[in-house]
Amino acid sequence: MDRLKGNALMLAGILLAAIYLFPLYWMYVTALKSGTEIMAYPPSFWPEDPTPIFGEVWTRLQMASYLKNSVLIAGGTTVLVVLFGTGCAYAMSRVKSVWIDVALFAVLMMQVLPSSLMVTPIFVFFNQIGLMDWPRGAVILAQAAKMLPLYIVLTRAAFLQVPAELEEAALVDGNSRVGAFLTIMVPLARNGILVTGVLVFLQSFGEYVYARSMIGTRELQPATVGLQSFMGPNSSDWSGVMSYAAIYVTPVLAIFVLLQRRIVSGLTSGALK
Amino acid sequence: MQALPLPRSLRPGFSLGGLIDGRGFDTLLVLTALGYLAVFSAWPLVYNLIMSLQEVDLFSLASFDRPFVGLDNYREVISAPEMPQILGNTAVFVIASVSLQLVLGFALALFFELRFPGASFLRGLFLAGWIMPPLVVGAIWSWILAGDFGVLNYALKSLGIIDENIFWLSDPARSLWSVIIANIWLGVPFNLILLSVGLAGIPEDLYEAAEMDGATRVQRFLTITLPLMRAQLGAVISLGTIFTLQQFDLFAGLTQGGPSNSSNVMQYWSWQLSFQEYQIGLGSVISVLMIGFVIGLAAIYVRSTRHEQVY
Repeated sequence: MDRLKGNALMLAGILLAAIYLFPLYWMYVTALKSGTEIMAYPPSFWPEDPTPIFGEVWTRLQMASYLKNSVLIAGGTTVLVVLFGTGCAYAMSRVKSVWIDVALFAVLMMQVLPSSLMVTPIFVFFNQIGLMDWPRGAVILAQAAKMLPLYIVLTRAAFLQVPAELEEAALVDGNSRVGAFLTIMVPLARNGILVTGVLVFLQSFGEYVYARSMIGTRELQPATVGLQSFMGPNSSDWSGVMSYAAIYVTPVLAIFVLLQRRIVSGLTSGALK
Repeated sequence: MQALPLPRSLRPGFSLGGLIDGRGFDTLLVLTALGYLAVFSAWPLVYNLIMSLQEVDLFSLASFDRPFVGLDNYREVISAPEMPQILGNTAVFVIASVSLQLVLGFALALFFELRFPGASFLRGLFLAGWIMPPLVVGAIWSWILAGDFGVLNYALKSLGIIDENIFWLSDPARSLWSVIIANIWLGVPFNLILLSVGLAGIPEDLYEAAEMDGATRVQRFLTITLPLMRAQLGAVISLGTIFTLQQFDLFAGLTQGGPSNSSNVMQYWSWQLSFQEYQIGLGSVISVLMIGFVIGLAAIYVRSTRHEQVY
């Protein structure tokens, strides 16, 4: 009886997940359909005559250049955020004082600033100091400021899990603060650092507002901006658009599947603190 | 956690050597990150406020000596003919998105809490939506919602809910809702996971005791689940509102605020004014107002969770 109930619930669960994930399925199916099949009524839910055009879309839209820029922006942002954020997260997890509380409050406030609203002053500011000559660098700097607070909050939660006694033992053994931080604390918190770093990378890989507003040259634009200009206001090349989207997000989904468990636990540990 | 024996209070006045080894090390680490944020987040905030009082357009963009116009920009934005519509759209967008995300996320969280085989794996699949670049989500939904060949219209017609195709993106009465639908899809995973964490924290024996006392399922939900989930629900609602006000990419991917502002919201309008009409002074006015609202909301949220925090 209980087993029957469990199986029925499992079926319902699979159905719910399938409904939720339908948009992703539809992206892949559409990418494989031919032009005429896309306009068919009723629509087919399985491609009758799969015609993959990934290669053609890849070269026609010069996706190599777009994706290279996306990786560059995401990578640059992640490096900056890890460099600036790890030590801060560590110190904020160890020191208890009013000043740290104030700093943490400030960080939490900066976490919620919407990019679409920050881009106006950042653009004018960067323009005046000449940063617009390196548009991708400008996007990296702005995006790192957007991601740094989130990284600090989540990584701080990871450092909180490391027992302080381990660090104290290292200090008693004659390690310097820097040494204890780099050789004891960072390795012990590496899981949290890694997962949060991956999150920062993935978020920046899909960044749009800053890139759209600050990068004018096509050769320097990332894949989001490329997709948007490909779609245009009235695109009807849906198999092309969905092929582009599939090429773009499949690596993201693959990383997600690999790290799913860790991402969930990393997010939930820091989300409420 | 016990108080640490090592002296690491942040008192002013440390030696240069202390920066590397003593309590100054912590200060240095924190100040490095805060310094970055001060230059690239806090200063733009201040600069935004200054620009909102200046006349900033393409010609004065690079100049450091721009004319101050007092509150003229604010007057112009507030009296703009499209202002009431866009403000109303923003309210509808936030309230509809947050409440529907919450209802769906909560229902799913309760369902997956039933502990059947594969429940946590299936629940994890929902996070795939959360990790997707929002602009791509916008692209996929604009195909699903397409008027002629969109699969949503087909599904609704097959189910007998509608007779005629709905032109979701180009019908002014629906365009905002097409963005809301996509935004709910994006926000459900976040609600589901946070609420699941809360549900998992409710002790099982509370339910068992209530069941023995003859409480029905509904009574147990109303008297145990809801009150004990108050903190989580508050978190989901405030964070959901904040994230919804950050949403930009879906508007870019779906409707670009159109047709004729029927799906425009404040954060997109601000960007349009700055980057499409080059009325940067006006763009920063909206930016100042909306950022003030978001920060106020976040401050209330953080303060309200303070007593529950474990440092």
